[in-house]
Amino acid sequence: MRIYLIGLSHQTAPVELRERLDFQARGVDAALQTLGKRAAAREVVVLSTCNRAELYATCEDLDTARRDLHAFLSEYHDVTEQAVAPHLYERTDLDAARHLFRVAAGLDSLVVGEPQILGQVKDAHSAASAAQSSGAILNRLFHASFAVGKRVRTETGLGAGAVSVSFAAVSLARKIFGDLSERAVVVVGAGEMGKLTARHMKSQGAPHITIVSRSMAHAARTAEAIGGASVAPWDDLDASLAAGDIVIAATGAASPILTKARLEAIMRTRRGRPLFIIDIAMPRDVEAAAGELEQVFLYNIDDLQSTVRENMARRASEVARAESIVAEELEKFAAWLRSRGAVPTIVALRQHFEAIRRAELDRLLKQSSLTAEAQERVEDITRLFMEKLLLTPTEQLKLLGDQEIVGAYSEALTRLFGLGSSHAAESDAHRSRVIDGTFNRNTRR
Amino acid sequence: MRFVAFALYVAAFGAYVWHFARREAAVGRAATTLLVAAAFAHTFLIGMQTMEIGHVPFAGPTSAISTFVWMLALAYLYAEMATEERAMGAFILLLIVALQTIPTISPGIEDRAEVLESPLFGIHVSSLLFAYASFALACMIGITYVLLFKEIKAKHLGFFYARLPSLQVLDTMNQRAIVIGWVFLTIGLVVGAVWANQTASTDPRVQAMQLQDPKIFLAVVCWAVYSFEAFAARRIGWGGRRTAYLSAIGFAIVLLNFVPISYFLTRSHNF
Repeated sequence: MRIYLIGLSHQTAPVELRERLDFQARGVDAALQTLGKRAAAREVVVLSTCNRAELYATCEDLDTARRDLHAFLSEYHDVTEQAVAPHLYERTDLDAARHLFRVAAGLDSLVVGEPQILGQVKDAHSAASAAQSSGAILNRLFHASFAVGKRVRTETGLGAGAVSVSFAAVSLARKIFGDLSERAVVVVGAGEMGKLTARHMKSQGAPHITIVSRSMAHAARTAEAIGGASVAPWDDLDASLAAGDIVIAATGAASPILTKARLEAIMRTRRGRPLFIIDIAMPRDVEAAAGELEQVFLYNIDDLQSTVRENMARRASEVARAESIVAEELEKFAAWLRSRGAVPTIVALRQHFEAIRRAELDRLLKQSSLTAEAQERVEDITRLFMEKLLLTPTEQLKLLGDQEIVGAYSEALTRLFGLGSSHAAESDAHRSRVIDGTFNRNTRR
Repeated sequence: MRFVAFALYVAAFGAYVWHFARREAAVGRAATTLLVAAAFAHTFLIGMQTMEIGHVPFAGPTSAISTFVWMLALAYLYAEMATEERAMGAFILLLIVALQTIPTISPGIEDRAEVLESPLFGIHVSSLLFAYASFALACMIGITYVLLFKEIKAKHLGFFYARLPSLQVLDTMNQRAIVIGWVFLTIGLVVGAVWANQTASTDPRVQAMQLQDPKIFLAVVCWAVYSFEAFAARRIGWGGRRTAYLSAIGFAIVLLNFVPISYFLTRSHNF
């Protein structure tokens, strides 16, 4: 059984093509159903975000799966194979696993360390689970990728620090005020930039917004556009500032409106309550010297941009730690995958023993006139006897790491016990018991 | 036993520093566990000393430090559990380890002077020690406030920005610690004064219980500083950084009173 990944992302495909191959428009479920009918892949998970579209599959034969999934992508999205092919990447087995781990960790994202991707990976897996298109291998693979994502988030700073100006502003506001829900935001000026920042503040949990503008009509329109805010006339600017906590200055004024002296007077009425001023106007609305006032935190757009740059650099320096977590988890997954190599032999061996036991039991029970209770005892004892005999061989086989050694063992066992053709008849239910270890637990009693 | 408690405090200190620097969740949990273990060992140590001498050992300067450290550890653990915030641990444990060195090197368990056998004495000492533990917390919170404040003000969002809670949270915690400390400081001072007046002992130390005694004088200065901080500072616009500095100054006076003055200068409190 092989793992096969095919997909494209922001790194390989232009946005037009990504839009064409987006699975979200018609729903991932529909795609999973269509894939289920094609059946070249045994298991499949569709991961589709605005920056990537990927199919994770397991298959018996790579070439068949590759041809089939290529065909599926072009047929399903109605694009020619030639148009898509140059932008597709493929990975197999552990390379596919590494790719998914890096994706879940945010290492492959457009903005390195962005937090949404882990949720999207989880959604992709649960959609596949619901559609019953994900099986033992992909379940294990995806759960391992969740673990990678979680570890990277808690153990490294890959996702730390805001990497956009508006998030940098919100993050600063939170660092100063903690909870923003009781804080008053004052937007000075009703232009586009102020509107965007105010809307962002609102979406980040700062609902009390006042817009102060020279034109009340303009202020009212902006208030409506951001979905609810109070407005104040320009003459009330000082009073609004005295009552506010976070000020977004975004007027088109040619010279600073908020001078140090004016702010000093306002601060006196605030009794030391901190004031966070974000000056996003060009040219500046707030005199730079105002930042010297005690309890005034003044950030202009350049300051915010430079904190964003610092955060980006800090994230970049965390990449190595995140990669080493990916490598660690990949090693664990590889060990699990290798241990599955012995599964067919284990199953065959157990079936062989079970067949002998069954045959002997049938003969015994047919001939003798044992009570029902005694029959049950015999049944129990023979089963326990068999499982105890098989316990150590099973465990040892599962511990084998090397493919060649697995092959040698399996050949030896096949020959010693005459396992032969019953190999192919393995039942899936039995298989999964061997894989997940319930077999051992039952035996150890 | 006292070495066990000390070693656990040192280990907890190391773990808190490591956690602060690297922010590994498992290390943080280990740090808390170590501190809880240290507090247990310390409780046991104080309990053993109590049984040995028949009263709680906090009359002498050295054993008072030990009891103070114990209370500080408990107060910090309470604050950590209430706020789920471990960032302050490294700072508090630094103080704990530094102070606990003294009773670890020489425990100085004293026989209690006859004049101290009064329930009022127990209330006096334990409220003051608890007040000092609160002020120690407030001081450390104040220091971290200033560190964070400076980073935000200087627009260089670095080490502390990533690790500390918001200025608002630090300020609230500081204020709460100051008010709790002030209440116990007041109780301790009032009970001490009442007790000193009641006692008709001819012990020269009791005779020296006057405002001129450096220990008593500084305690009253402390009370004034903390009263100002708790009730007046914010009203006149001394929010944030200034109250944080004030917490540090207040605790510096407490420490001065607690260690050098207790050992070398006081004539009234050298039991």
